[in-house]
Amino acid sequence: MPALLPALLAIALAQGAPAEAPRPGDLSPQTRRYQVERIRIIGLERAKESEVRRHLLVAEGDLLDEERILLSRLRLLQLGWFSRVETRVEKGSERGLVVLVIDVAERNTLIVTDFILGSTDPEPIYGGLGLSQQNFLGRGFGLSGAFVYGGSPVGRPQDPDRFALRASFFAPSLEVSGVKQGVVLGATFLLVHGEEFTCGDAKCDAYRGNFGAAPRIRYERIMGEGTVGIRPGPFERILASYRTEAVQATAIGAATTVPALEPAVFAGDSVVSALTGTYEMDTRDDFFFPREGMRGLFQVTFGSRLLGGDYEYSRYLLQLETAFGLLGRALRLQTAVGVAQGNAPFFDRFYGADFSYFALGPALGRALELNFSTDPRYDAFLAMGGVEYAVPLWSKQGFFRRGYLALGTRAVYSTATLGGKRTTFTRSPVSADVALRFDTPVGVFNLSAGYLLDNVL
Amino acid sequence: MTAGRSIAAALAALALAAPPPAFAATSQLAVKLVARNGRLLASVDVGAAFAPRVERELGNGLTNVIAVYVSVLPSEGGGPALVHGRVIEILFDVWEEAYAVTVKDPRTPQGVPLVLADFRALRAFLAEEKDLDLGPVALLPAGAFIVEARVEVNPISKEQLHRTREFIANPAGGSRAGGGSRSVLGAMASFLLREPEPGSDVHLFRSRPLGHGEVVAR
Repeated sequence: MPALLPALLAIALAQGAPAEAPRPGDLSPQTRRYQVERIRIIGLERAKESEVRRHLLVAEGDLLDEERILLSRLRLLQLGWFSRVETRVEKGSERGLVVLVIDVAERNTLIVTDFILGSTDPEPIYGGLGLSQQNFLGRGFGLSGAFVYGGSPVGRPQDPDRFALRASFFAPSLEVSGVKQGVVLGATFLLVHGEEFTCGDAKCDAYRGNFGAAPRIRYERIMGEGTVGIRPGPFERILASYRTEAVQATAIGAATTVPALEPAVFAGDSVVSALTGTYEMDTRDDFFFPREGMRGLFQVTFGSRLLGGDYEYSRYLLQLETAFGLLGRALRLQTAVGVAQGNAPFFDRFYGADFSYFALGPALGRALELNFSTDPRYDAFLAMGGVEYAVPLWSKQGFFRRGYLALGTRAVYSTATLGGKRTTFTRSPVSADVALRFDTPVGVFNLSAGYLLDNVL
Repeated sequence: MTAGRSIAAALAALALAAPPPAFAATSQLAVKLVARNGRLLASVDVGAAFAPRVERELGNGLTNVIAVYVSVLPSEGGGPALVHGRVIEILFDVWEEAYAVTVKDPRTPQGVPLVLADFRALRAFLAEEKDLDLGPVALLPAGAFIVEARVEVNPISKEQLHRTREFIANPAGGSRAGGGSRSVLGAMASFLLREPEPGSDVHLFRSRPLGHGEVVAR
């Protein structure tokens, strides 16, 4: 039945006469003034009761306010910790008092954040997995870990394995007196053992079929980062992070003499020490299939010798995504602009393929910051614009709760120098994608034709 | 704004925006149509929307809202020709141990109150919607038509959802969040998984195609 029908009823009700004054002895909600004697929460297994109570909008001793009870229930549901939240009142110890009972069923909060499987000529098979516990210790903390493993480079079985490991802890809203929305705390650890080719060309043509002999830079990164922040509003976060990173880089074989094809990193041991400020906002109405709202991120990073590092640089990144409802579908506009100035290490520059659905060329989007392609070109300037149209396919109960088909196209421009020539990490700056996205109890999955194509091209 | 009125307003806001969920199944609707003084009156049985398990929900001591919409549509498709809707507020008073019911429709927007002693009486009241005034008989579709009923139990308004909504993006904050990782699956999985569906029930009923001859004149 079209939504027009209830709208007609709504208008008719709104135009009606004002409600009658409550009559003595009337049982209508207007006259009932019970007091909440006690709040009882049942069904908790892992979540801490004190954490649940922190999100309630009612308190013991309050007059029974049904609107606040409903909003409390919705808020608990939106935490993502519970699959069911029901509320009811029971008789209290004496007439006029009631007990508010909140009956919950906890849900799985361990989700898959990354499932990586890829193939390139220099690394025929690599893969990885990421998991995140969204309610660690029952206190709403996020604890996540991810790895990517590629093994020894092809043709060099004696070399160390290529892999990346990332672990992070995140407290999205720690209660601190005087701070209304709470304090944000986070810590991240990253370990990367990787290599970047330093052939004379991005395809490393001279070594095709014998990549084991190709020159390269082997590096190790050990990174630790601490983050503290505040939430100025329900849809915003302001974060300050300090990162220190030990880098060890070794040149293997005769490197290229073309500077653009040599990743920016000091030979031997070096240290990155950087401060990052981040502003994030997210007003989307749905994490999976947003029809309205906006997600934005602006990030500024300063690395300096003043902080004890060897790299003097700054980095700026702006990412925006807006969603609109269009004919019952979701239309998303996406943009990203990035600039890296000074002597930024290559991993703090922009790898164009990360922002593209696929690349017509050797470049391939990285996995946990590991580059398995032959293309080592990291750029100082990046601009990306794209549009994505989503067609909902189903919405039901069960494991595959929701699904939609995403049709997207993006254009990516990146260059090593301001006003310089576009880096041809892909022959066409425009890429497109057809992806099937699922919302499941263990995470959101993205079956992307663009990604599969990227592994073939 | 009182709780009852705010719920009615919230319901209205929801009604303007929300199509029925994709998983709402359609049941057969038993309907009797009567023409009286040029008006089409319908009596429908929507008892299937109120299974015995609903007692737990409707008896929770908090105000529950049920919206019932009945419409007549051409059987070959198209918009509704005739419409009726009502909102029923139900409150089980835990101390009085009785159901206070308020029925609101366009003719009595202030609501008609009544008290029902137990769930059996409440269910009987809710199941049979009698003599609903759908509008002038003259507006019936020329050919065959169907009668549809939609019953919503505790609908949640968009405004209410919005008031509880907070930051929903990647929980992994920090300077390297989301940077440099592509997955064959899960490339966009680094979002906090949430359960935005508040769980309101929608029940749809549809009659068989009916003809003008099945409208009893009185």
